[in-house]
Amino acid sequence: MILQPRREWLLAPSTVVFAGCFAVPVAWFLVLSFFQIKSYQLSTELTAMNYVVVWRDYLDSILFTFTVAICVAVVVTLVSFAFAYYIRFRAGRFGILLIFCTLITLFGGYLTKIYVWKTILGSSGVINSALLWFGVIDEAIGVFLYNPLAVVITLGHYLLPLGVLPIYGSLRNVDETPLLGARDLGASPWRVFYDIVLPQCRVGILFAFTLSFLFSVGDYVTPLLVGGPYTSMLGVLVQLQFGMRFNAPLGAAMAFTAVMLCIAIVGIANMVLERLLTARW
Amino acid sequence: MSRLVWSVFAAGCLLFMLTPLVILVLFSFSEDRAIAFPITSFGFRWWRELVDNNAFWPSVRHSLVVVSVVGAVSTVIGTLAAFALARLPPGFAGKCIATLTLPLMVPPLVLGIMLLSFFTQSGMPLGLNTVILAHLVFTQPLVILIVYASLVGFDYEMVSAARDLGATPARAFRTVTLPVLRPSIIGAALVAMAISLDDFIVTFFTIGGGNTLPTFLWGMLRKGVSPQLNIVSSILMGVTIGISVIALRVTRYRG
Repeated sequence: MILQPRREWLLAPSTVVFAGCFAVPVAWFLVLSFFQIKSYQLSTELTAMNYVVVWRDYLDSILFTFTVAICVAVVVTLVSFAFAYYIRFRAGRFGILLIFCTLITLFGGYLTKIYVWKTILGSSGVINSALLWFGVIDEAIGVFLYNPLAVVITLGHYLLPLGVLPIYGSLRNVDETPLLGARDLGASPWRVFYDIVLPQCRVGILFAFTLSFLFSVGDYVTPLLVGGPYTSMLGVLVQLQFGMRFNAPLGAAMAFTAVMLCIAIVGIANMVLERLLTARW
Repeated sequence: MSRLVWSVFAAGCLLFMLTPLVILVLFSFSEDRAIAFPITSFGFRWWRELVDNNAFWPSVRHSLVVVSVVGAVSTVIGTLAAFALARLPPGFAGKCIATLTLPLMVPPLVLGIMLLSFFTQSGMPLGLNTVILAHLVFTQPLVILIVYASLVGFDYEMVSAARDLGATPARAFRTVTLPVLRPSIIGAALVAMAISLDDFIVTFFTIGGGNTLPTFLWGMLRKGVSPQLNIVSSILMGVTIGISVIALRVTRYRG
């Protein structure tokens, strides 16, 4: 290939947007997290007190949020993998139709999906009214909404297509000849799956896990609308600091703590997957 | 036996993904006040009420402004960036792309609050301008990723052939480069628009007063469940699905 002239200046507009609306705000937010509110005034004296407060007073919420997020991410990754596997290896000509349906639900709308689960699970909602109508129950039961399970279902519904597509993307590239070869040479179906298929979709699996994990940790609307009063996820608490509690520095410290923990967990997940899913053939 | 288990599982997944969306559209044509079975009558009662709702149309207008500006600007600056990146050594370009896509890794809530805090601190009045700036941050990486991916496989020999045959650089770009890249650029623009239209959290924090369609929906949600919600949701869903289906057709995406 002949050398093309470099045109770095074309990067300028994006860089300006990135710097002005991301890098500088992040820097400001980081500084803010070391400030404090003293008698309703922002004191610009640097202190790490906010981070101490986060670990001291909000440890329960942090643990709860990360537990819910990891549950959602694991469930979404497993179900998406199974569904993508079915589409790739078992669905035959229906595969393309299933992928199309998955794509349709991908952009169904964020708020819309949360709202629709609220109406489905609510005490006068779709499930309850349908059960009443068919005479399965005599009065509305309220067990569906306002609990962590409702959060997991709602987030799972939003994230499933986002998990299926990257995993399907990596499964699609799996060549079937080595699979047949391994079977002919006497490998069990499980061994073929574990040693040949799984390692080849490590990237897709990591992508699905990371995406659903990050999204669940940071989500704010789902716990607020379907989580109920006992589901105090971090997002709601961060928002409270900027709203009613009027303690922006603490909110910023909470946000940074959460982001750092996320990076650590994604890093660990990557290492675990690398260890578990190495190609052995 | 295992065949049956697989089929049941796949059908379950499909039902889980699609049923809520079907329910939404179904209830948008119900004339009942309650969103519950049995539906006693179907019709356009709540559609008419929504059309008469004074707060609805401004939010549609705002959404249209935001989506079109964000779509146009992020496509242009993202495509320019992708062109520059494609000329850089792949390793370095990869690092640049990783940096530029960092905003996608930050939870929208953190991004929204961070920008709110930054804009108010720097004395910038909140409004559609700040919403547009905020949307650019997370739509431009998508455009860069999509256009860069198609530029990686681009054959520059075609351009030099056109130049050898006497085409000016501008003409070579217009008649060779652009037609090859057009599907991915249009696809990137549509993805950016769909994401921008659907965004609630970042918009909610950076808009100050006023509404776009998702924040209008949120306002109704906070007041309690109204049947009009189903309609706004169905419209939003229809438009985003429409945009993404067009995007997929244009870019010939296959999984």
